[in-house]
Amino acid sequence: MLAALLAAACVLLVALPFLKEPSPASDSLHELDEAERRRLERLEARDRALAALKELEFDHRTGTISDEDYRTLVGPLRREVAAALQALQADAGSPADGTAGEGRPSGGRTS
Amino acid sequence: MSELGRAALLVTLGLSVYALVAGVAAARLGRRRLALSAQNALLAAFVSTAVASAVLLAALLRHDFSFTYVARTTSEALPTAYTISAFWGGQEGSLLLWLLVLTGFGAAAVRLNRSWARDLVVWVVPVFAAVAVFFAFLVVAVASPFATQPAPADGVGMTPSLQNPYMLAHPPLLYLGYVGLTVPFAFALGALLSGRTDERWLVATRRWTLVAWTALGVGQLLGAHWAYVEVGWGGYYAWDPVENAALMPWLAATAFLHSVMIQEKRGMLRIWNVLLVFLAFSLSLFGTFLTRSGVVNSIHAFTQSSIGPWFLAFIAVTVAVSVAVLLRRLPLLRSRARLESPLSREAAFLYNNLLLLALCLAILWGVVYPLLSEAVRGEAVVLGRSYYDFFLRAFGLPLLLLMGIGPLIAWRRASLASLATTFRWPTAFALATGAVLLALGAGSSLPGLVAYTFSAFVAATIVLEFARGTAARKALGATSWPGAFFSLIARNRRRYGGYVVHAAIVLLAVGIAGSSAFDSVGEATLRPGETLEVGRYALTYRSLDERQTANATELRALLSVRRGGRDLGTLEAGKNAYTVEQQVSNEVGIRSDRLTGEDLFVIAEQIDPDGTVTFRVFVKPLVNLIWLAGLVFVLGSLIALWPDAREQRRLAERASSLGLTTSR
Amino acid sequence: MIALSVAAVLAVFLLYTSIAGGGNASVSPSELRGRSDPVQLAGLVVGPVTGDAHGGGLRFRLRDIGEKSGVTVPVRYTGSVPDLFKVGRHIVVDGRLRNGVFVAEPGSMITKCPSKYSPAQKAGTG
Repeated sequence: MLAALLAAACVLLVALPFLKEPSPASDSLHELDEAERRRLERLEARDRALAALKELEFDHRTGTISDEDYRTLVGPLRREVAAALQALQADAGSPADGTAGEGRPSGGRTS
Repeated sequence: MSELGRAALLVTLGLSVYALVAGVAAARLGRRRLALSAQNALLAAFVSTAVASAVLLAALLRHDFSFTYVARTTSEALPTAYTISAFWGGQEGSLLLWLLVLTGFGAAAVRLNRSWARDLVVWVVPVFAAVAVFFAFLVVAVASPFATQPAPADGVGMTPSLQNPYMLAHPPLLYLGYVGLTVPFAFALGALLSGRTDERWLVATRRWTLVAWTALGVGQLLGAHWAYVEVGWGGYYAWDPVENAALMPWLAATAFLHSVMIQEKRGMLRIWNVLLVFLAFSLSLFGTFLTRSGVVNSIHAFTQSSIGPWFLAFIAVTVAVSVAVLLRRLPLLRSRARLESPLSREAAFLYNNLLLLALCLAILWGVVYPLLSEAVRGEAVVLGRSYYDFFLRAFGLPLLLLMGIGPLIAWRRASLASLATTFRWPTAFALATGAVLLALGAGSSLPGLVAYTFSAFVAATIVLEFARGTAARKALGATSWPGAFFSLIARNRRRYGGYVVHAAIVLLAVGIAGSSAFDSVGEATLRPGETLEVGRYALTYRSLDERQTANATELRALLSVRRGGRDLGTLEAGKNAYTVEQQVSNEVGIRSDRLTGEDLFVIAEQIDPDGTVTFRVFVKPLVNLIWLAGLVFVLGSLIALWPDAREQRRLAERASSLGLTTSR
Repeated sequence: MIALSVAAVLAVFLLYTSIAGGGNASVSPSELRGRSDPVQLAGLVVGPVTGDAHGGGLRFRLRDIGEKSGVTVPVRYTGSVPDLFKVGRHIVVDGRLRNGVFVAEPGSMITKCPSKYSPAQKAGTG
C-alpha cells in the first residue's frame, strides 16, 4: 500500500503539467528562432570581447603584460569590441549594451 | 519492507523510461507540457530512489538480516557509523547510491536551468534519463539490494580493514565525483542534440564540473591517506587499477576545466571540449566498472560478477551514440578563431591538455594492457610500477612547468622579449633553489631535483601574481594591503581560486618528490634493547605489550626515538589479531615532524614468540605536504566556485534580453 | 595537429611496452609447469604455512583460483608479508620457478582485499 501511494504520487507529479493546463493557448516549446540564436551568439561574442579587453587592462596594470605587448594587443581587441557592439546594434535595433528587452520583436513566441 | 524497496526501484525504472521517451518526444515535437512532464518524471525518479534508499538504510540500522545485503555486510556488533557505511560497501548498495546521486543531480541541474536554457534542457532530460534507465535496470533486475532470505542470527560483519572513518568519506566523495561528471556530459550531449552552438551548456555546468572534479580529487587523496596509515606498506599509491580508475577521469576533467577557459575567451576548441567531456564521463563509467567487475587483477579485486558485461555494453553504447551525434553536428561546431602563435596562453593551455591527456591515456593503456595481451598473445602481461613512474615523470614534470608559464603568458601572441621580462625573477629563483638543493645533496635523484626546481618556479609565479595583483588593487584605491588582497580575490574568484589550486598541486608535487625520490628505508630484526638506525634517526626497541580489546588482541612494540642525539619520545608499532574475523592487521607507527613535514614510518613486520621483532622503517621527507595540499586544493576550489553576484547579473541580463526568463 | 600528437603519443606507449617490456606475464599455478622465466603468479593460498619470511623463507602452496582441487605449486617467500595473508586468500607474487619451487621476489606479495562486491554465493568470506 505504501508502494501504491508512492506510485500514485509519482504519476500525479508526472501528469501535473497536463492537469494544470488542460487546454492551453499554446503548447509549443519556446525555441529560439534564427534571429534570437544570432542575437545570443552576438551577445556572447560581445561579452567575450569585453572580458578579454578587461583582462588585458588588468594584466597590463599588474605588470604581467609589458607596455609594448599591451600596445600591440589592445588595438585589435578594442576593434573586436566595437565590431561586436555594432553587430548587436544592427541586430534588433535595441540599445547597444543589450540591457532590458525593449525594441525586441515579440511575435510568435508566447510560451 | 523489502517489497516497498523493490517497488520503489521499479517505479524509478518506469519513471526513467518515461522521462527518456517523453523527453525525446517533447524535444522533437516541441511540446511544452510534455517537456515539463519529463522534467517532473526525473524529479519523481529521485523521490522514489530516495524512498528505496531510506528502506535500505532503515534495514541496516535495525539489523534486519532478512535482507541478504544487510546480512552480508554488517553484524550486530558493528558500530553504527560503519553500519551506515555498509550502504555503499557492497555491490548492490553502491549501485543504489549511484542512482540516488544521479537522479538527484539530474533533477537539480535541470531545475536550476529550466527557465533560461529551456531549449537546451529539453534535450538534457532524456540524456539523464537514459543513464538513469541503465542504473535503475541494474538495481531492479541484476543486482537488487532488496533480495531476502530467512534471517540468520547474525550477519557476516564487515572486514576490519574497512572499519575506519575513511570508509565513511572516501567512497561517497568518489561517487559525487563520478556521478557529478554526468552533468556536463548530459548538457554537452543535450546541446549537440538540440543543435545549439552557444555556450550556455558550458555556463550551466561549470560549477557542477568543478564540484565533481574537487570531490574526485579529495576522494583520491583520502584513499591515498587511508592506504598510507591503515594498510601501511609504506606507500600511498600503488598504480593499482582501481586507484587508476579514479585518476583517469580526474585527469580528463582537469584537461576539460582548462580547455573550457579557451572556449570561453576565444570561442575555440569546441569540438575538443565536447570530446573531453565525453571522455571524462566514459572513463568515470569505466572506473565504476573496473572497481566491481573483477576483470583486472587488482589489490581491490572483486570476484567475477555478472555486472561486468552490462557495464561494458553501456559504455560502448554511450561512446557510440556520443560520437555519432558529434559527427552529425560537426559542421555546427567548427569555430572561426585560430591559434595565432605557439607562444600564447591558448597554446600553453593546449600543451597542458595534451600532456594531461597523454598521461591519462598512458594510465589507461597500463590498465587494459593485461587484457589486451591476453587476447592477443594468450597470456596476461601486467605492467609494473616502473612503467607508470616513467610516464608520470615524462608528462608530469612538463605539466608542472607549464603551470607556472600558462597564467603569465599573454593571450593570442606573446613576444619572446616580454617572456624574458615576465619570467626573469621566477626563473632566477628556481635556478637558485635548484643550486642550493644540489649542494644539499638533492642530486641523488634527478627527477626529484627537477621536480623541486620546477615547483620553485611555479611557486614564484604564483606569489608574483598575487603580489602584483594586490599592488594594482591598492593603487586603484583599496584602503589597506589586506583589503586590497581580499578584494583582488573577491573580484577575480576564478582566476585566483585557480592560482590557489595550482599552489596545492605544487605542494603535492613537492610532497611526492620528497617522499618517493629522497626517502630512506632500513630493516632489522631486534631484541629488546637493540637499536636500528635509518637516516638521522636511531630507534631502540624497548618492550612488547599485549592488550585485549573488545574484538581483538593488540600487540605493540615500544620504541624510543632519537634524532641527532635529541630524544624525540616513543613510538608504537605492531599488529592486531581480530578474534571473530580471524584476521591480522598491521598497525604502523608514524611520527610526523611538524616543522619539516617528514614522517618516521615504522612497520612491525614480524613479531616472534620470544619477543624478537623484525622492523621495517621508512623516513619519508615532506610527505605531509601531500595531505596539506588536499586542504589547499579544497580552499582553492571553494574560492573559484563561490557565486559571483556580478556574473549572475550579467547572465540574467543576457537571458532577459532574449525573453528567456519568463516564468514557466 | 591534435590528432597527430595523440597518434604520436600512442605510438610511444606501444614502443615502450614492447621494447622496455616493463611487465611480467601473469599466470596461474596450473600454467606454471615448465616455465622458468620471471612471472607473476596469482593463486589461492593452501596450507600448511611454515617457516619465517624474515628468516629462511615462508613456505606454502598456491593453487588455481576457482578450482576445488588440482595443481598446487610450492612457494618460498621472503620479505614483507601483507596483513591479509592467510590460508584461502587470493594472492599475487612475482618470482620464478626454480627446481620445482617458485622462488618469490622479496617483498613482492600482494594480497587481494576480500571481496566487497562479491555475489551472494560468496557470503562466507565476508
